[in-house]
Amino acid sequence: MSEILQVRELKEQFYTRRGIYKALNGVELKLNRGEVFGLAGESGSGKSTLGLTIMGLLPRNASILSGSVLFDGIDVVAPMRDYASKSNHRFSFRKNERIIKKMNEELEGVRGKKIAMVFQDPMTSLNPVLEVGYQIAETMLFHQSSVLAMRRLARAKAKRADLEEAMKVIKNTNGDETVVERFFEERGLKGLEEQVLSIWRRPDLPDARKEKLILSLHSEKLGAFESKVLKLVQERGSVPSWFSKLPLFGRLAKKVLIKEGYRKAVELLSTLEIPNADKIVRMYPHELSGGMRQRVVIAIALANNPEVVIMDEPTSALDVTVQAQILDLVKHLKTKFNTSFIFISHDLSVLAEVCDRIGIMYGGRLVEVAKTREVFESPAHPYTKLLIAAIPTLEEKQIQEIGGTVPDMRFPPSGCMFHPRCPYAMEVCRQRVPEMVKVSSDHHTACFLYSQGEGST
Amino acid sequence: MLHLERMKGEEENREAKKNNESYRSGRLENLKVSVSVFIANKTALAGLLIFIIFIADALIVQFDPQLIGIQSPNLLVPNFQNPIPLPPSPEHPFGTTYPGIDLFDGIVKAIRIDLAYSFFVVAVGASIGAIVGIISAWAGGMMDEIVMRLTDIVFSIPYLILALAVGFILGRSLWHMSIALALTWWPLYARYARSQTLSTKELTFVEAAKAGGVGRGMIMFKHILPNVLPPIFIQISLDLGSIVVIFSTLAFIGFIPNADIPELGYLTSLGLNYVQTAPWAVIFPGLVITVFALAVNLLGDGLRDVIDPRRRS
Amino acid sequence: MKLWAYVVRRLLLFIPTLIGLTFIVFILSHAGGNNLVLAEYINPRLTGEARTLLIQKLTEEFHLNQPLYIQYFYWLYQVLQGNWGFTTTPIFSGTVITAIDLFFPNTAMITVVASVLIWAIGVPLGIYSSVNRDSVGDQVLRVGSFTLYAMPIYLIAVALIIALGVYLKLIPFSGVVNPILVSDVSWYKNGISYPTHIILIDSMLHGAWQVTWDSFLHLILPSLTLALATVASIIRILRASMLEVLEQDFIRLAWSKGIPAKLVYNLHARKNALLPVLTLYGVTVAFLLGGAVVVETVFSYPGIGYWTTQALLNNDVGGIMASTLLFGLILVTANLALDILYAFVDPRIRY
Repeated sequence: MSEILQVRELKEQFYTRRGIYKALNGVELKLNRGEVFGLAGESGSGKSTLGLTIMGLLPRNASILSGSVLFDGIDVVAPMRDYASKSNHRFSFRKNERIIKKMNEELEGVRGKKIAMVFQDPMTSLNPVLEVGYQIAETMLFHQSSVLAMRRLARAKAKRADLEEAMKVIKNTNGDETVVERFFEERGLKGLEEQVLSIWRRPDLPDARKEKLILSLHSEKLGAFESKVLKLVQERGSVPSWFSKLPLFGRLAKKVLIKEGYRKAVELLSTLEIPNADKIVRMYPHELSGGMRQRVVIAIALANNPEVVIMDEPTSALDVTVQAQILDLVKHLKTKFNTSFIFISHDLSVLAEVCDRIGIMYGGRLVEVAKTREVFESPAHPYTKLLIAAIPTLEEKQIQEIGGTVPDMRFPPSGCMFHPRCPYAMEVCRQRVPEMVKVSSDHHTACFLYSQGEGST
Repeated sequence: MLHLERMKGEEENREAKKNNESYRSGRLENLKVSVSVFIANKTALAGLLIFIIFIADALIVQFDPQLIGIQSPNLLVPNFQNPIPLPPSPEHPFGTTYPGIDLFDGIVKAIRIDLAYSFFVVAVGASIGAIVGIISAWAGGMMDEIVMRLTDIVFSIPYLILALAVGFILGRSLWHMSIALALTWWPLYARYARSQTLSTKELTFVEAAKAGGVGRGMIMFKHILPNVLPPIFIQISLDLGSIVVIFSTLAFIGFIPNADIPELGYLTSLGLNYVQTAPWAVIFPGLVITVFALAVNLLGDGLRDVIDPRRRS
Repeated sequence: MKLWAYVVRRLLLFIPTLIGLTFIVFILSHAGGNNLVLAEYINPRLTGEARTLLIQKLTEEFHLNQPLYIQYFYWLYQVLQGNWGFTTTPIFSGTVITAIDLFFPNTAMITVVASVLIWAIGVPLGIYSSVNRDSVGDQVLRVGSFTLYAMPIYLIAVALIIALGVYLKLIPFSGVVNPILVSDVSWYKNGISYPTHIILIDSMLHGAWQVTWDSFLHLILPSLTLALATVASIIRILRASMLEVLEQDFIRLAWSKGIPAKLVYNLHARKNALLPVLTLYGVTVAFLLGGAVVVETVFSYPGIGYWTTQALLNNDVGGIMASTLLFGLILVTANLALDILYAFVDPRIRY
């Protein structure tokens, strides 16, 4: 299990008219490949902020004091952190904005391709004046245009006979991916396999219709110029920037590729179990239900098969049945593609369903990180214990509330953030910040109750 | 166990004390924050300063014109011996315009006239409009429909032209011009106040108040008006500048026949024929209006920053 | 509802608005009593017997002794027939319809050119201002548009005259064409050009390129003044709208997709940000029309605005009332067009 994402000692604050909010106070996080990491906490604990910061999506009043976010060989927050250390607390919104712009530019290659995010409210996450299919196709245009070009070219090149044979292969092997892939590759028709298989796997169509659709995928005429352009794209791996600036030709390339992107979007949406995807793709967000919208957002995030997906409360705005579907989807993706997830939620029961490890956040810090089972069965940190005790269960018991309120992050408590509310608070908790210590294998917590006998007093 | 209970008890005491104090000091603190936000906004302060200067001018000319050497505050004093506009000099700080009117003298008098009539227009137009709008939104039903249609009809004609036509019918004088402007202005406020009231009405806290059994009149006064009046007030302060500009525009195109009245737009029009040889004759009066409108806009913006809760954070 | 259903509904709303408009103009024109109406048709020098007879005749003809609401219908009937009354001004005397026919094209010309300028200048600057928030360029733009917004239109006109016409001697600032150039030209008689009454176009149709250029020069200052007076508020609104849009979740999603910044601003943000601007453009058109009155007067540009001020100065009732009706008509039609355009642009309205 290799590490794919690392957050080290991240300290972040926000400048507002009412004061400086210290949102993150030294977060340490390691995400492994193919793992679903749950991030739990109350509102104001900093979990959403952490998710956004990992993506580099910072507002103009944010400032990274120290720390780093390492992903794909880049330190995502380096520019802003360097600025903060240089400027010595003289903060200028204007300069900060320029830095954010620089960050956006640097992260263009990574965002959408290797790391993606799903936001909380699908109503506001989608652009209301753009077709849903376009919004999905757009991300493919920028990150896998060669695949799109390849697909289109393959369809132009294929003959009916090829597809008839392919049909036989599919029926024989019951849609075995590797076999089908090799079949098309041998005939120089790479790109057709995903089109064919996605039709085959659609649950909403009868077999006869599927066959018909597959067989229709041949000899789709392509203009000579278009064909040249697509070949160029396929070779280069993307639309060359000088080309896309040319007024007519650039537009043409984009148009063809986006059209292909629409087709692939239909395939994606069908995988996410949206019926009539080909009609949905031409609709606008306000015409869809909440569950469908969220699936569109997820489709956008997954379109380019990223390595890491951050999901910020993806189910909080939806009803329970849709919630279950999305959780199933997450599990499926984890097994199939080895995608890593950071799943942010305030609902521990949701996290219990789907996460491998869970991290509990409080006051802008991770206070406990452990395997899911251990978090529920043997929680270490007092806050975790109280959280778990507060979950309503079927057994009859008194609901335990946690006394006090979430701290005002403009004036965070000294030492351990939780000490004002902690039933076990000791003198040292007020004085020093607890470090993460090991409780057992792969179970850490930041609490002085567990660091006795280790080091200083 | 004991430790836990003791800590809890202390916490509760501290919180209760804080809550009480914060309620009382909350309003004072709010005021302090408001003032400090306003003061921090330097342009708004500048606007306020300029505005005060203009008002001072108007008041001085009204109550003690001799103080700055003004003889006839309501008339322009031509000098037919020397009708051609003269450049600025110690004798005529802003120069003169046709026919021989000292610009400084004219402008100082004109400020008072413009301000007075514009205040009138805004006060009457805005008040009537706001009242009509709030009542219309609150009452709803047929009355609301009628008011809406009425304002729609008034909006179907560009306001400059409508003011022109109405003023023409009433008679082409300064006074009638103001009335015409007030008549064409109130629908704007009616609409604005109405939409503000409607959106406040829909807010959940009003529903909560209703559910709590609070009487309709009380709701109007304690919940709706405090939310609706501040934005209207800000809009009024912003519109003061616009009204002065429109007022002077009507005067500029010659609304008042045989005018000898000090008015900034009229003064500007006097110099129009000499714009090539005596640009100061149009620049100075025009500048004065622009400065006033700017000051009022900055002031209004500053107020809006203070009052609009969203801008505060 | 589908797009066409929306259009039909909007058209239906058009009619009562028109009726309301005609009603208010009618009330205005008869609010001064019958004297005002009669004054339109009676030569003031007519006295005595002839005058009384004429008054009698006119009273009968225009049903002036009937109750007001009946008069309205007679009046409306006349209006719909194209009889909008008479106008007597120094620049033109005759039927109102002819006056409109002669002057309206020029006004249309400058307002259209001004609108093009407003969008061409205002949109890029508004977006620039919001994307580069608080930069030097943004601050300059804000101060500039704030000042322009505070300046009365006539002052902008005068400032442009001083700057461009007088000191730089670049551009003419009076009238619509240099009279020398058109002194003996077949298609230009008595200040009127044929067939379209717009000198710019007619000269092109007749191949008189020198005249075209000259009339183009004359066009610049009036249109520029109108444009500058309006663009300030467009920039402000667009900037505020963009800033609001840029805070939205879907913009954050766009960023998270790793698409180039240019696309985020010019496609995702701009499309949304322009919607409120379009909604408020109806007010802008009203402002343009009122502004045209001032601008044409300052530049002696023979359009319906100039005619209106001339009517005002000469106490020409017929002129004022007719021009009020005309401007109202233009505004209501423009609002209709804008509403329909908006429905095309915002998908949420249609469905």
